Amino acid sequence: MKKREERLILGKGQYADDLAFFNMAHLVFVGSPHAHARIVSIDTKKALALPGVITVITGKEVAAHTRPLPVQANFTSKGWTWRLADVYAIPADKVRWHGEPVAAVVAEDEETARRAADLVEVAYEALPLAGDLRTALSPGAPKVYDDWEDNKQVHLVFDFGDPEKAFAMADQVLQVTNREGRVTGVPIEPRGCVGLYDTKNDTLEMWGSFQTPFLSRHNIAATLGVPEAKVKINAVDIGGAFGLKIHAWKENVVALASKLSGRPVKWMEPHRDFMATGPHQRDVFWDGTIAFKNDGTLLGLKATVFHDLGVESTNKGIAALSIFPACSSPTNMYKWVGMHVEGIGTVTNKSFYCAYRGYGKDKGIKFIEAAINQVAKKLHMTPEAIRMKNFIQPDEFPYHQINNYVLDSGDYPAVLNKAMEMADLDFFRKRKKELAGQGRYLGIGLVTAIEPAGVAVPNCQMGGITEARVLITPDGSVEVHSDRTEIGQGAEISHATIVADILGMDMAHIHVKRVTSDFIGQGPLSSRGAVYPASAVAKAAKLLRKKVVQCAGSLMKIPADQVVLEKGYIYPVNAPEKKISYAQFADKMFFFPGPRGLDPEILKAHDHLLDVTTTWYSPTTPESGSSYTSFCVSADIAVVEVDIDTGVTQIVKYVHVHDAGTIINAQVVDGQIQGGIVQGIGEALYEGLNYDENGQLMNTSFSNYLIPTSVEAPDIEIAHLETPSPFSETGSKGMGEAPIIGSKAVILDAIEDALSDFGIRVNDAPATPEKVRKWIRQASGQNQ
Amino acid sequence: MKMPLTFMLNNQQTTLEVDARQTLLEVLRNQGGMTSVHRSCEEGECGACTVLLNDEPVNACLVLAASVQGASVLTSEGLVKNGKPHPLMKAFTDELGIQCGFCTPGMLMNAYALINRAGDNLLTDQVIRKTLEGNLCRCTGYVNIIKSVHTAQKAKLAGEWW
Repeated sequence: MKKREERLILGKGQYADDLAFFNMAHLVFVGSPHAHARIVSIDTKKALALPGVITVITGKEVAAHTRPLPVQANFTSKGWTWRLADVYAIPADKVRWHGEPVAAVVAEDEETARRAADLVEVAYEALPLAGDLRTALSPGAPKVYDDWEDNKQVHLVFDFGDPEKAFAMADQVLQVTNREGRVTGVPIEPRGCVGLYDTKNDTLEMWGSFQTPFLSRHNIAATLGVPEAKVKINAVDIGGAFGLKIHAWKENVVALASKLSGRPVKWMEPHRDFMATGPHQRDVFWDGTIAFKNDGTLLGLKATVFHDLGVESTNKGIAALSIFPACSSPTNMYKWVGMHVEGIGTVTNKSFYCAYRGYGKDKGIKFIEAAINQVAKKLHMTPEAIRMKNFIQPDEFPYHQINNYVLDSGDYPAVLNKAMEMADLDFFRKRKKELAGQGRYLGIGLVTAIEPAGVAVPNCQMGGITEARVLITPDGSVEVHSDRTEIGQGAEISHATIVADILGMDMAHIHVKRVTSDFIGQGPLSSRGAVYPASAVAKAAKLLRKKVVQCAGSLMKIPADQVVLEKGYIYPVNAPEKKISYAQFADKMFFFPGPRGLDPEILKAHDHLLDVTTTWYSPTTPESGSSYTSFCVSADIAVVEVDIDTGVTQIVKYVHVHDAGTIINAQVVDGQIQGGIVQGIGEALYEGLNYDENGQLMNTSFSNYLIPTSVEAPDIEIAHLETPSPFSETGSKGMGEAPIIGSKAVILDAIEDALSDFGIRVNDAPATPEKVRKWIRQASGQNQ
Repeated sequence: MKMPLTFMLNNQQTTLEVDARQTLLEVLRNQGGMTSVHRSCEEGECGACTVLLNDEPVNACLVLAASVQGASVLTSEGLVKNGKPHPLMKAFTDELGIQCGFCTPGMLMNAYALINRAGDNLLTDQVIRKTLEGNLCRCTGYVNIIKSVHTAQKAKLAGEWW
C-alpha cells in the first residue's frame, strides 16, 4: 500500500510549479552580477513600461514594508563570538554575493516577468571582495558587514573531558588536516511557492516547497509584521529537499508581492538561481592533532575547524549553528579522555550557508575517521583493528560521551564485523598486491560512524518542538497530522505503518495529511523524522488505542484487556464472531454514544472522542544536554581502482552495514541509504562550487556542477542490524544522514589506499581526476 | 506570434494555440495540462522533462513546440490506461524506484522507450545505467530505479504491457 507513490506515478503530483490560482501573477528575481558592490541606483521605468508588468519591488520597498529577517540562532550569551546582522530579503544598500536579488518583478505571466527582469537597470559601484576564507580573515580585509569588527561571525570553543590529560598520557601525537570543498545539495526541483494575501481578512496563506511549514510561518510572519496566527503555510509535493528547503527568505518577497498587488503571486525559481542563491554547505578546513598510545588506544584531539560560511548565516539560513555538531561529532563511537575543539565561521562574499544532509556531523566524523586511519597507518595496524580497540562496547549503553551525547544503543563491533565479512576484505587486500605489479591501483577504504539524529538545541529554532494528532473520523478512516513533511524520504508510508500497527487497521484507511503550519514542529531535519514526529505519532496512536479499547470494552461489556484490535475490526478475545468494524465503532462513538451505551465515566471524561493530539520530546536531552536522541550505527567499506594516467576513480565494490534500530519500512530505509551514499560519492569525487577571483560562481548548471548520474553510481550492498533505541517511541533511530557521512569519507580513504605507493594523503575533496593527477605528479616529482 | 499547433498528444489528436517561441515543455505544461512533465534546469541537463517524440526520448525543454506539428508526443500521463498504472509504473512503485517523484516521469519515459527498443533481449544493468544517464535523480542513488526497469521488462516479457 503506497498511496502517495501510486498517486505520484500516475502523474497526479502537485508540486509547487503545478500550482495555479485564479488571477495569479508571477514573480521573477533580478540577481546581482557583482559579488560585492554598492547599489548606486535602480531604474525600473523600462521594466514597468513593458505591457503586463504589475510592479517591481526593490530593496527600498522591502525595507519600507517588512522587517529584517528574524534571527534563528543566537548564542551571544555564551561568551563566544556570535555576530548577527540586520538583513532583508532584498538589500537596499549593497549586494554581498553574486546573484543576490536586487529586485523582484511581478507580471501577468512568467515570460513577461523574465523579460522585464532584464530591463531593470541597476548602477553598481564595485567594492573589493572578501572572496574566500583566507582573504576574509586577513588583517584589513574588506568587510562584508560594515558594522562588524571583522569578518568572523562565529568562534566557538569546546573542551570535552580532559584534553590536557589526554595529551599528557600520549605516547605519540599526529597532525592531520582535511579540506572539504563547497557543495550544494541541489534537489532536482528548485524552490517555489504561491503567496495569497487576503486583503479582506488580512491573512496570508502560502503553498509551496516548504520543508518546515511551522518555522517558515514564524519567519515569514515576523518579516511581514503579520500576526503568526493569521498566516498559514502549506507544504505541497516536494521534489527533494535534503535541508535546502528548510528556510524561507525569497518566499517572504513573494508574500509581500501578494500583499502589495492584492493578487495571488507565484514564484518558481530557475534552477541556476537555486545553485547561485541557494544554501551552500561544507567548505571547511580542519587542522588538528590527535593523541594516542603505541598500542592504538585513542586519547584525545586538539583541532580547529574553519568554515567559509558565505554571507551571514543566522537569518537566511540557520547554518552557523552547524558549527556545533561539526565540533562535537569527532568523538564518533570511540572512548576518549578529552578533546579541545574550536569552530570558526567566517563570512565571505558567497551565497549563504544552510542545512544539507550531514549538517556538520558529517564534517567532524569524516575528519576523525581520516585521522584514525592515519594513526593506524603510523602504528602498522589495520583500520579495523584500531576501531575494535576503541569502540564503546555493547554492554556500556546508554553511554555518556565526553561531549554530553547520550549514546542510546548499538553493537559497534558487530556492525563492522558484518561489513568486513560482506566486503571480503582479505580477498581484496590480496588482489591489491597482485594488481600492484601490473600497474593497477586498487584501494580499500574503511570507515565507521554513528549518526547523531533528531536535534534539540536550546537558544535557537531547532529546539526539539514536535506535535502530532491522530483522529479516527466518524466513518472509521484515520487522519494523521504531524510536522513531518514528505520530501521523498518515506514520511507518509512510515507514519501510516506505525498507526496501522498500533490501531490494528489496514493501511488503506490511514490518511497521512499534508503538512501545514497548523502543527508545531521543526519538520524533517537532522534525521528527526523517525525520532521526533514518528514518536509523537506513535504516542498519539497509543493513547488513541487506549481510548478505543476502553470504549469497546464498555460497549461489548467485557474488560478492556479482552478487546482485540485486528485488521480493521474490534472484537472480544473469546468471541471473534462478535466483531465490529472500525466504521461501525466510530459511528457509535461519535453519534450514538449513550446514555446507556457507554459507561458514564467515559462520557464524563470525553474518552469517546477518538482524537488525540500530543507532543513528544527527547527523554535524554533535558538532563544530559545531549542535543541528539538517537545514534544510528554504520560501517562503510569501499573498494576503488584509480587509473593513475587519467586520475579517474572507479568504484569496484561498496558495502554498507547499518543499524538504525527498529526498521519501520525496509524499502524506505534502503532507499535512504542508497541515495545518501550516492550523494556522498558526489561530494567525494565530483561536486564543488567554484567562485573565481571576482566572486563569480562559475558553475550554476548540472553541466558543470556534476552530481552522480546512473553511470557513476555504484551497486551498493546493504545489510541491517536492528538494535532498538530505548529512547524513541518505536525503537527506531534517525538514519537519513548516516549514508552520506560514511560514503564521503570512505571513498577518499580508499583512494588514499590505492595511491599508497605514492605516499599521497588524500585530504582535499572532491578528488576529481584533475586533482588526483596533480597529486600523482607532485608525488612523482614531475613538473606536469 | 500565436499559431495553432496540431499534434498527437498521448494518442489523441490535439490542437493548441501556442506562441512560436514556446518550448514543448512550456506548451505541454501550460496549454496541454501535462504537469507530469517537470521543469527544472531548462537546458537539457536534468532529464526531468523527458517525453517521447515519435517514440524517441527528448528533453522537452530543448524542443520548440512549433516543430512537433503533426508529430506524436507521449508523456507519462499517456501511459495510464483507464486510470490504471502502466506495468512500468507499477514496477517503480513496487521496487520503490520513486522517492520524491520529481525525476520519475522523465525517467519513466526514457525507460519505456528503452524497454520497447530492447524487444526480447534482456537488459543488463550496464545498458540501463548508460541509457538513463541523462535523467538525474538526487534521491534514490539509482539502485531501485535499475531494479524497477528490470522488473518492468519482466512484466513486458510476460505479456503485461501496453
